[in-house]
Amino acid sequence: MMNTEELLAAAGALLEPWTVEKTTPEEGRVDIVVEADHLIEAVTALVNAKWGYLSALTGLDLGPEAGRMEALYHFCHYAAVLTLRVRLGRETPVLPTVCGVIPSTSFFERELSEMFGITVEGTPNTDHLFLPDNWPTDTYPLRKDFDASALRAQDENRG
Amino acid sequence: MTQPVEKKGDRFIIPIGPQHPALKEPGHFEFTVDGEMVTDATVRLGYVHRGIEKGVESRNYVQNLYMLERICGICSHTHAMVYAMGVEKLAGVEAPPRAQAIRLIVAELERIHSHMLWLGVAAHEAGFDTLFMYSWRDRETVMDLLEALSGNRVNYSANLLGGVKFDITPDQVKDILEGMAFLEERNRHYLEVVMNDMLLLGRIRGVGTMSKADAERLGAIGPTGRASGVARDVRLDAPYGAYRTFKPVLMLAETGDLEGRFNVRLREIMDSIRLIREAVTALPEGELTTRMPRRIKEGETVSRVEAPRGEAFYFIRSNGSEMPDRIKVRTPTIFNMATVLTLARGHQLADMPMILVGIDPCFSCNDRMVSLKRQGEEAAGGDAVAGPVMTWNEFRKAVMR
Repeated sequence: MMNTEELLAAAGALLEPWTVEKTTPEEGRVDIVVEADHLIEAVTALVNAKWGYLSALTGLDLGPEAGRMEALYHFCHYAAVLTLRVRLGRETPVLPTVCGVIPSTSFFERELSEMFGITVEGTPNTDHLFLPDNWPTDTYPLRKDFDASALRAQDENRG
Repeated sequence: MTQPVEKKGDRFIIPIGPQHPALKEPGHFEFTVDGEMVTDATVRLGYVHRGIEKGVESRNYVQNLYMLERICGICSHTHAMVYAMGVEKLAGVEAPPRAQAIRLIVAELERIHSHMLWLGVAAHEAGFDTLFMYSWRDRETVMDLLEALSGNRVNYSANLLGGVKFDITPDQVKDILEGMAFLEERNRHYLEVVMNDMLLLGRIRGVGTMSKADAERLGAIGPTGRASGVARDVRLDAPYGAYRTFKPVLMLAETGDLEGRFNVRLREIMDSIRLIREAVTALPEGELTTRMPRRIKEGETVSRVEAPRGEAFYFIRSNGSEMPDRIKVRTPTIFNMATVLTLARGHQLADMPMILVGIDPCFSCNDRMVSLKRQGEEAAGGDAVAGPVMTWNEFRKAVMR
């Protein structure tokens, strides 16, 4: 069996064609930046090679000043953790769905879009997963400029 | 909920929940049925969504330890431990060996309590209430041990950033070993009952079967995945803390049905008992805590542990201040919930509670409190409060009889 370093090297080689940037943030982890347009190809390559499983999908808002958001697809294979980082503009963040390759991503994509306002094109279900049905539109709680007090005031006015 | 049954063509959609669809936790399911047969299922979650991922961004690292421990009333220690491990990694600090062993002991006690709770709920859903009551009576043994160690039944608050809060004394080791002997005997009996009782087997054998390929495709993890032969356990795949020294045994079943899930969880209880025995008898000497900085240096980390229900995944991003920039929490149930929706198809509506319970979805459990009347309280009504009439152990023994 391959050790963690070899597993990460194998993943790095698999993703070579789409790699924009590659970093090693800590032991046992590799972060690879890919373009949103290449996300499905990169994920397909990992799935076809049976390289681990998609463990989580993290949304990251770098704030209005940076004007950027990121979607982090964390793949775990034994002790190795590979993160595909997709950089998105904050104005109109759009990602393609990976449900065609990994069906269980549906929940993660629903969460990502309701919490960060990232549009996931082609995802099978766009209903809210966690937020209430009457949650105001264009209000995304995990964005850095989300203001809970405004929402609270609105709630009180409604009675 | 008094939502009317909706007719769609020649199919009916039956809404179940959000109030307690088989468990004491809110969740809303819509089952499309053709006669008694379920043909489709959808889920709506979020009834206990508390905005914790947002909340942690405006609290410091210490406050967050308490916040995150309250995500779950069953695997509270798991959340605190995975968070503490992540923050320690970011700060470049390692908890002392004794603290790591204590974390393991509490984690395995928690696993026993979680699996025994599940056994009771699952038995109840199958209509086997005798097993439900016996298993929950016996589960009190492990709850009492946790309470004796930490002072709490639910949120044990064992972790600190950089270590643990309490030690385990030789007396407590003796109690733990006694408790383990009792639980081992009881769980061996339950394993026998589950594998041989024809009435129970009628409800679990061949029900909710998930092939290994399906389990992998749908991302089943934890005991739910292992019951379908998915050989994944973070404790073995990416050993952390004291699991580098004390190795668990991977429990697998090939059947993939509810029987397999009973089998895997019960054998995991037996293995946890073995791990606890080994750890308490070989507790490393030394400090319980190490110094932690208030500000955590900039960086990102991933922390994973094996919760009773499967892998718990934390992503922590620090911007160098006292508060984290982002904490992503991914709990095992969201993975396993996807399997329920797929497994539901082609089963009888009456099997839904069992299939749902089969994955052991995480539900909050109630804390409880007992107040003891103290000597002199009535007479003086003021300051003259002496010690309790009974010690906690005496009281427990008196009421449990």
